[in-house]
Amino acid sequence: MQLVLNALVAGSLAALVAGGLGLMYGVLGAFNMALGQIVLLTGLVTWWLVASISAPLWIAVPCGLMAAAALSLLTFEVFVDPFVRRHRFLPLVTTIAWSMMLDAAVLLLFGERPKSIPSGDKVLFSFGDGVINLQQCVLVLMTVMVLIATAWILHRTALGRKFRAVTQHEGAARSLGINATLLSRILFVVSGTLAGAGGIFIGIDMSLSPTLAFPFTIKAYAAVIAGGRGSLWGAVIAAYAIALAEQLLVGIRWFGVITVPAGYQQAVALAVIVGFLLWRPQGLFASRSRSV
Amino acid sequence: MDLLWHTIVIIGVWLPMVLLHSCIFGRAKIFFFGPIAVWLLTAYATFLVLRMTGVYSLAILSGLIMASIASAFLAWTSLRLESDSFGIISLAFHLTALSIVLTWTSLTRGSLGIPQIPVAPFPSSTFGMAISTMSISVLWLGGMVSLMRSKFGRRLTALGEHPAAAAALGVRRSHAFFFIFFLFGLAALTSVVPFIQYLGILHPNEFSYEALVFLIMMVVAGRPGSIAGATASTVFVVVLREAIRLLPLTPSFVGPVRLLCFGVLLFAAVCWRRESLFPPTRSF
Repeated sequence: MQLVLNALVAGSLAALVAGGLGLMYGVLGAFNMALGQIVLLTGLVTWWLVASISAPLWIAVPCGLMAAAALSLLTFEVFVDPFVRRHRFLPLVTTIAWSMMLDAAVLLLFGERPKSIPSGDKVLFSFGDGVINLQQCVLVLMTVMVLIATAWILHRTALGRKFRAVTQHEGAARSLGINATLLSRILFVVSGTLAGAGGIFIGIDMSLSPTLAFPFTIKAYAAVIAGGRGSLWGAVIAAYAIALAEQLLVGIRWFGVITVPAGYQQAVALAVIVGFLLWRPQGLFASRSRSV
Repeated sequence: MDLLWHTIVIIGVWLPMVLLHSCIFGRAKIFFFGPIAVWLLTAYATFLVLRMTGVYSLAILSGLIMASIASAFLAWTSLRLESDSFGIISLAFHLTALSIVLTWTSLTRGSLGIPQIPVAPFPSSTFGMAISTMSISVLWLGGMVSLMRSKFGRRLTALGEHPAAAAALGVRRSHAFFFIFFLFGLAALTSVVPFIQYLGILHPNEFSYEALVFLIMMVVAGRPGSIAGATASTVFVVVLREAIRLLPLTPSFVGPVRLLCFGVLLFAAVCWRRESLFPPTRSF
């Protein structure tokens, strides 16, 4: 039971990030390699507000989310939008450069030591023989709410239809008067803010270390690719599947004798994704672009 | 004077990798972000065997086998996946290789690294090492100039510019990709062996994300696909990196300042090269 609860929490964190990225990739067709650094900086800004100036959590969290939105907007305006028009692969390199600058900023401003956001005593709930804390429950519920809201916006509103139109055929959508650049900007900031929320959760539930950023980005995008590029639900399912595979891998005594050390958790999860993509390069649910 | 020889050693170590990566990235237009993973696997295969057996030829052979396997795997993956997906998956490959090295402590000693690498039949002085690495680099430089002017170079460029048209003219994508990746593996072997011998320690920090960005920066700054550009940018970037050491900064500041400088430099290089980095596909 504990393994399932752990997978639910880790999967919700990954789904929160990968779902937004999946949508963003569908619309923009570009990767943001500075995502992990945005996650890290959001968590660290929240930590600084709580630990250094003793701000209460209900003020620090919205401020942290605003920092994530501002950083995402800056990333889009300076490192993505001017380049994606030239070639959709250029932002992959420019955001790598931006990630290095943010890494340097993290080291200069916050140092190398891991940081935890103080959140008081943890309230625990028991489910069978498993335990989950209040913050983890909030994350799971928040992810479910965000996913329901996203589904509703995508399938029941005019804005959602515009998003889907741009994803399916940007040129045709533009010719119908849809402002694809504005939609991309909105989606980029929203997905960055959701990822930032993940950073705050990591800071509260675990700790924020400068080494977290790069693996976080790679795992999130691996879920997006494994889910089928541009597919929201594919990314979400892949995120939960990866989290479950990671937990089962280290939590089970295989064949009654072998226990996999926790350090291999990430390596094996990524190896499974690589293997899966070699078998099915289009991912779980590849979205097709319409021809007109 | 020692700093000069040291800088030449580092240029000699990086140049073969930069030349090959520049051709993969610039000519074949393959979004390959796993070069440091090949470097890492080759280094560990070579020096673990050397430590266990003490036989240098056997160590080089195991390094070559590992480089070939890693390169073949990456070539196969590049054939299966879309360009940008391959970019992410090659980064995942790097992360996976690094995680394994850091976790398998009984074999690799994890983050402690492997000290006291047995001395190989290489010159032990910095000057001798500078001559050796530069000789290897000059050989690679000459070889790459010839290769890119040959039929293979033209085929690779054609595949990068218009894969469908190249295939229609009888160019086999799989052959070209496997061959260029195998050459990359060979370059990784010839650069990592003298490098680790020079350092005297095999440490995972040398194969980090920072090393990857350092390599990409040299490739992008020199214009991907350009042999002369790759050579000039390698010299420039290595000299800049070594010069940062001379700044009067505390050790805790040198790392972040270096990251900041390289980030700005990479961004400036992309801005400068934005027209030529991914040119539009030719139309007929």
